[in-house]
Amino acid sequence: MNLDSYLITEEPYYSPTHNEVQLFEAAYATRMPMMLKGPTGCGKTRFIEYVAWQLKKPLITVSCHEDMTASDLVGRYLLDAEGTVWHDGPLTLAVRHGAICYLDEIVEARQDTSVVIHSLTDDRRILSIEKKNEVLKAHKDFQIVISYNPGYQSVLKDLKESTKQRFGAIDFDYPKPEDEAKIIAHESGIDNKTASKLVTISERSRNLKGHGLDEGASTRMLIYAAQLIAQGVSLEEACEVALVLPITDDHDIRNALSSAISACT
Amino acid sequence: MAASTTRGKYATSPHRNEPADPDKRLVFLIKEGKSFFPKEYYPYWERACNKLSHAGYGALIPLSYARHSPKLVKILNPETAINLAATVSLAAIKVNRAAAELLSKAAVIAAHELKSEQAFTAWITTIEELIHYAPESVLAVLERTQKVLTTLTPEQFRSWVLAGLRSTGDDTLRQIQYFSFTDPESEKWFRHEAGDVVFTDLDRRLKLYLISLWNLRPPIRDLPTSTSPLSLRRISISNGVVQMPEVFPGFHDQQAENIFRAGLAHVGAHLVYSTKRFPLGELKPIQVALVSLIEDARVEYLAMQTFPGLRKLWLPFHVAKSNGPKLVPLLLARLSRTLIDENYKDRDGWIQKGHDMFFDPQNNMTDPAISRRIGVLLGNDLGQLRAQFNAKTYIVEPPYRDDNMGLWDFGDYQGQEQDNQGIFIEAMRMEREENQDSTSPDQDRQGEDEQSEQQYHARESTDPEHRESNVAVRYPEYDYLTSTERPNWSCVVEYNPDFGDAHKIDRILETHTDLVNRITNLIRSAKVSLPERLRHQSLGESLDLDACIDAIISRRMGHVPDPRIYSTTERKHRDLSVLVLLDISHSTNDRVLKAGTSVLELEIQATALLAYAMSELDDPFAISAFCSDGKEDVHYYRIKDFDVAYDSTARAYLAGLQGKLSTRIGVAMRHALSDLITQRTHRRLLLVISDGEPSDIDVKDKKYLVEDACKVVRSVSRLGIDTFCVGLDSGGDNYLNKIFGRRNVAVIDNLDRLPERLPMLYLRLTA
Repeated sequence: MNLDSYLITEEPYYSPTHNEVQLFEAAYATRMPMMLKGPTGCGKTRFIEYVAWQLKKPLITVSCHEDMTASDLVGRYLLDAEGTVWHDGPLTLAVRHGAICYLDEIVEARQDTSVVIHSLTDDRRILSIEKKNEVLKAHKDFQIVISYNPGYQSVLKDLKESTKQRFGAIDFDYPKPEDEAKIIAHESGIDNKTASKLVTISERSRNLKGHGLDEGASTRMLIYAAQLIAQGVSLEEACEVALVLPITDDHDIRNALSSAISACT
Repeated sequence: MAASTTRGKYATSPHRNEPADPDKRLVFLIKEGKSFFPKEYYPYWERACNKLSHAGYGALIPLSYARHSPKLVKILNPETAINLAATVSLAAIKVNRAAAELLSKAAVIAAHELKSEQAFTAWITTIEELIHYAPESVLAVLERTQKVLTTLTPEQFRSWVLAGLRSTGDDTLRQIQYFSFTDPESEKWFRHEAGDVVFTDLDRRLKLYLISLWNLRPPIRDLPTSTSPLSLRRISISNGVVQMPEVFPGFHDQQAENIFRAGLAHVGAHLVYSTKRFPLGELKPIQVALVSLIEDARVEYLAMQTFPGLRKLWLPFHVAKSNGPKLVPLLLARLSRTLIDENYKDRDGWIQKGHDMFFDPQNNMTDPAISRRIGVLLGNDLGQLRAQFNAKTYIVEPPYRDDNMGLWDFGDYQGQEQDNQGIFIEAMRMEREENQDSTSPDQDRQGEDEQSEQQYHARESTDPEHRESNVAVRYPEYDYLTSTERPNWSCVVEYNPDFGDAHKIDRILETHTDLVNRITNLIRSAKVSLPERLRHQSLGESLDLDACIDAIISRRMGHVPDPRIYSTTERKHRDLSVLVLLDISHSTNDRVLKAGTSVLELEIQATALLAYAMSELDDPFAISAFCSDGKEDVHYYRIKDFDVAYDSTARAYLAGLQGKLSTRIGVAMRHALSDLITQRTHRRLLLVISDGEPSDIDVKDKKYLVEDACKVVRSVSRLGIDTFCVGLDSGGDNYLNKIFGRRNVAVIDNLDRLPERLPMLYLRLTA
């Protein structure tokens, strides 16, 4: 089977913050399972797209959710006129044909589901497909990558210790102010000055983390704000729409945040 | 702001044409009164006068009534004038003659202010309440009738009076201080009722604002009262503590919020950029004032480099005009303006010089030394101009700026006698001492306010009873009489629990083996919550794809297909967190005859068993205990937190609980809920175990605490938190039902069975 449709053809825009690209390439060289950690909207998904493009490997992304079963990952028999036909799940597809399999927000999946990846993440590199009675040896290009946001895990939703220990991890954070401004300007087309203003504004919101906000404004939110500005919306309104209203319903926090934003402009 | 009126002003003295003899004078006044009253009412009034005169209250009370009450006829109506006699009589009996005498006069003032019978009745009713609850304070309130009623409506007046009664409890002395405006609380609640924006109203959002801008969290407390008029008070920073005036008079609504915000942003700029204090040295007062002014401008300049929008916030307060007389305070205000307002042009040579020196491109703005250099030079110039500067009356303008005392290092000035140049500093020092004074014991309200800042300063104490951890949080309380919440009313202080013997808890489990086994069995079948998809079901709302395929395969193979091809959702996993709040008030020391031990002991046993059940179930849980010693000191003990294990420390804390003090349940629940609310489970339960009616030493009105707790329960149910109460008082149905609702209360009559009942109740509750 051809995984060409999973290849990323155009270079995704990604601005490295440290040496994460080199680190990842080194990990890929040994096909080490990797874990991307960091707050929401800081560029984890964009990063994996970027390295997949750089490595010229197909990327299969699975967004994990509570209802996801092992068959949703591995595959199942379906019917056609003749009889049953086996359909590989996204994980099996990646294992069989050699792709990077990216399991986004793995904690959202139930713990018994995430256990199916265990045999793939040690030196065996095999996937046993019970229903088909097949033990599949991983393609040499196969690598598994998961993302994990330690910020909003609850007591009940955390990775099993045995799962965590199978991964190398790269920690992501919001980029440095000047880099973040560059990213915002690139993604939205607004000028650098406004972009750096947005970054100053984001700092106000990130200061409130732990004082009523679970997370400050992410790079993604800043890009949204910038895109609104590029459409002709005023800076204040764009911030209100993209940075303040989505993250809090607390009247006092809204007020504090809006006032702090107004101090930046 | 004590009103300067004295009793003398209201005292009844003979007017011209009046006989000097009191008896004759009364007869004269009663005759005079005839012209005020309609014919049919006059006899009643005459009778009221005579009744007062024969009641043995002395001569002055009936005289005052006879003189003043007729005026009410014209403003309101004759009935009010006649009915007033009853209240006067009440005051004479319950309070004293002075208050009763003053009442008639005050009633006329009130009538003038209120103008309607309905409002007047509301006022007099409040006065009667006051006579009943706080007779000692009646005189003080009557003396201030004018001041109070020009600002407050009768409803607000009542609310302010109630705030006073509620906050002072039984303490007569503090009551008098409150009602004579010498207690800072009084002014604060007065302003609050008057609808002025007081800092308390904005406290949270402004603190968040400062965190958001600079990630600064300085302790902020009320500015102590001083003799200076309200309008001249300024924010003050000393040793990193920010003192805020409760109110900026004359600023309303958004404007008031803006000035508080502007002030706090200015404070933030100081905290970030005024890195070290200037030595006072030999500087003249005018130089001190100018260095401070330049420093203000400098830190604002730097702050605006990062936050240009702050200019919009600060600028509206700079209102100095360039054409005024050349008085020093005005010149200083103009200088301030020219340093922040680019569009402001001032032709005065001295101000231009100040402007040019400040904006000299050679300046390194981040260096505080430039403030000192420029300030000193400008001060010299003013000195040569022989401009008069009165350090004692000088007040920093615009009002959002702080008094700048925090900028100066006073060194060992205390020991030296300075002669010629110390006035400004003396004035500063006096104010400083005043500030320090107000934390002395005679102002114990202030002392308690200090406690409220313990988020920042853990108070050290050797007294084991007062080992506090570093948390003190203020909460509002609901007053059913006014149907409002008073913000920041009471204070929860977290104390470290005493260590007891952890083995005691283990022994409790050992002695209840049967029960423990039963609990263990029940635990297996216990379940609650989150929806889970069940596959392979014979009934359900959607098809289970895998099961369907299997079924078709079976059919094609000629087998009988499995009909269970549906999937459905069901709540199965336990996803529940519980906070157990134990009442450990003094009454829990009562012995339960049947059990041969105290209520508290039974509470501990029950909690031990419950904790066993909860930890076996893997339910996240926390255990806290509370008791209270007045509204400023609600004790809160964390036995076990959600994120720590139920280990021997937690057990030792549980075993070490002691029954003491009172039961201010609403506030304790608010504090517990602030923890519970952060739990991210599907169900959240606050389980209160209480042995008696809510009460506290400073609360006479028992209904007050019940209504407050009731309010708490109602407000959290909206947030999806369940509350349940286990009552240990067989007569407790009434108030517990009122607070928690009938379905959420279980009253346990046989207290000796509590250890058995509680875990069972819990399992039933969470099943």
